[in-house]
Amino acid sequence: MELLTAIAVGALFSIAIFQLLRRNVIRSVIGLVLLSSAINLFLLSTGAYQGLSAAYTDVVGQKSDALPQALILTAIVISMGGIALVLSMLYIVSARYRTSDLDEVKGLRH
Amino acid sequence: MNHHLVLLPVIIPLTGAALALLLGGRGLLGGRRLQRGQGLQGGQGLQAGWALGVMLTSLASSLWLLVQVSRSGQPVVFQAGGWPAPFGISLVGDLLSATLVVMSQAVLAAGIIYALGSQEQAVRYPAFYPLFLTLATGLTGAMLTGDLFNLFVFAELLVFSGTILTAISDDRYGTEAAFKYFYMSLLASAFLLLAVGSLYISYGTLNMADLARRIPANPGAPLLPVAIAMLLATFMIKSAVFPFHFWQPDFHTASPTAVSAMLSSVVVKLGVYGFLRMTSLLFVEQAPAIRALLVGLGVVGVVYGGLGAVGTHNAKRMLAYSTLAQVGFILVAIGWGDRLALAAAIIFTFNHSLIKAAMLMLAGAVASRAPVKTAAFGVVTGLGKSMPATGALFLVGGLALAGIPPTNGFVSKMVLFRSGIEGGQYASLAAVGVASILTLVYVTRAFQRIWWQPPLEGGKAKPTGDSLLAPALLIVAVLALGLWAAPLVELAQATADWLGSPAGYIQAVLGG
Repeated sequence: MELLTAIAVGALFSIAIFQLLRRNVIRSVIGLVLLSSAINLFLLSTGAYQGLSAAYTDVVGQKSDALPQALILTAIVISMGGIALVLSMLYIVSARYRTSDLDEVKGLRH
Repeated sequence: MNHHLVLLPVIIPLTGAALALLLGGRGLLGGRRLQRGQGLQGGQGLQAGWALGVMLTSLASSLWLLVQVSRSGQPVVFQAGGWPAPFGISLVGDLLSATLVVMSQAVLAAGIIYALGSQEQAVRYPAFYPLFLTLATGLTGAMLTGDLFNLFVFAELLVFSGTILTAISDDRYGTEAAFKYFYMSLLASAFLLLAVGSLYISYGTLNMADLARRIPANPGAPLLPVAIAMLLATFMIKSAVFPFHFWQPDFHTASPTAVSAMLSSVVVKLGVYGFLRMTSLLFVEQAPAIRALLVGLGVVGVVYGGLGAVGTHNAKRMLAYSTLAQVGFILVAIGWGDRLALAAAIIFTFNHSLIKAAMLMLAGAVASRAPVKTAAFGVVTGLGKSMPATGALFLVGGLALAGIPPTNGFVSKMVLFRSGIEGGQYASLAAVGVASILTLVYVTRAFQRIWWQPPLEGGKAKPTGDSLLAPALLIVAVLALGLWAAPLVELAQATADWLGSPAGYIQAVLGG
């Protein structure tokens, strides 16, 4: 399970970074979404293997660590807001330049 | 009651922001079209006045915090929800945090005063003042928190507010610049979260005091270097340090003047705060390597920022590049790392915030009277003839930026150079000293273009522009801190002493 998670995190990171560097705006946002998922999975894995039973239940045995789960909840909410904001700004920018290619957005080049 | 004091500078702007949204009246709900030239009226005026009141109250509370902390010599620690330290979230107001919070909130209050007298359309955006107050909350909270994840949350609040405040700018490239900044900031938060995860998996805690206690006990954790690198990258993006600087001039040029004056002066100091905490609290054993890196990056920043500022054709952009250089000075001081150098870094940080905010407001005031609203030298050349007061303030601010007496810029440069000489850091000192001449070059060039050259064809200044009250107040502070520098220098030295003994911080937070 640990190996599987490690591979999944690594794969998500590599796909995310590849997509992030693409010129197409939608693809780069997809990269951002994947990146935040990769990080959330990484955070989850920091507390997942301490114990096998769920935190805050009556089950006996070592409880798993609940803090990373709480961190991820916060991080998910924040990244959702962030991605909504990115998409809205992208909408404005790409509507102004009538393109989805980030290389053509060059109003700031002096 | 006493330990609740540290909450006030965070809670007051946050509550104020929520209430300011309600006060906006027909702003948010009515969705009316905003027209150029419309004065502040009705709900807008009420909201603006409320925001100023909130910010001033908050500034008073942070000053009170600073007085308390410097009197007792002990940080004010608040454990949120009554959970004891390593388990709950602690808010820690020590000398460093309290000093930087007072600096930030003073400049932010000046920013609201500028916005009140600003002609820009952006300040009439219904959510402008609420966002300004959440920006203040994010910055203050990030400096006062004692928990790394909490730092992430506050930094995100700061980034979101700053992004929206720039996206609504009158400058037509505002949205683009905000987009660029937001992308970089999302990457910074990704780095920060990776650092959080790496530290949590290695040490099982995110409380900064607890981390500072546990890291020396187990310095060989495989993920520790990763965490250090990630944290460095985070704060480098936040402070726009050389390899991660490229979004900064665009972003700070495109945002509304009241906002860019904040971004370029106090918001970049979040990274400086982070570096200070990293080298003096979290990674004390690894600090020499971090410091060596910071000196290198600082020298590159000073040279690059100075050359960039000399090469631009826009007064606001010039000041944005100048921030790169000035942050470089601070990094060099943090990198030297002895007691006097840390004091120099804190004095420099404090003084630069006041100077840079004033200078950007003055550049914005000139731009507000230009025929086309821009601070490009191609438009504003020669416009200064009709605004001598702005010129006088700009001259004083420019001298302060270049470090010429009797301004506070002189005090910060003097302490910085003295610490370099006493520390025997001749190579980096020489590089920084030579590059600091560039400051004088670009400041006098801007002054001469705007105030001494004949006006351009058809270049006629508008009769009215942004109010000069806020930059005037800041310039008064610049002169006051130049002539009466002792309190700040003593405060900075006490802070440097405090930073030299992380055990005090750990004990105050964890107890026992």
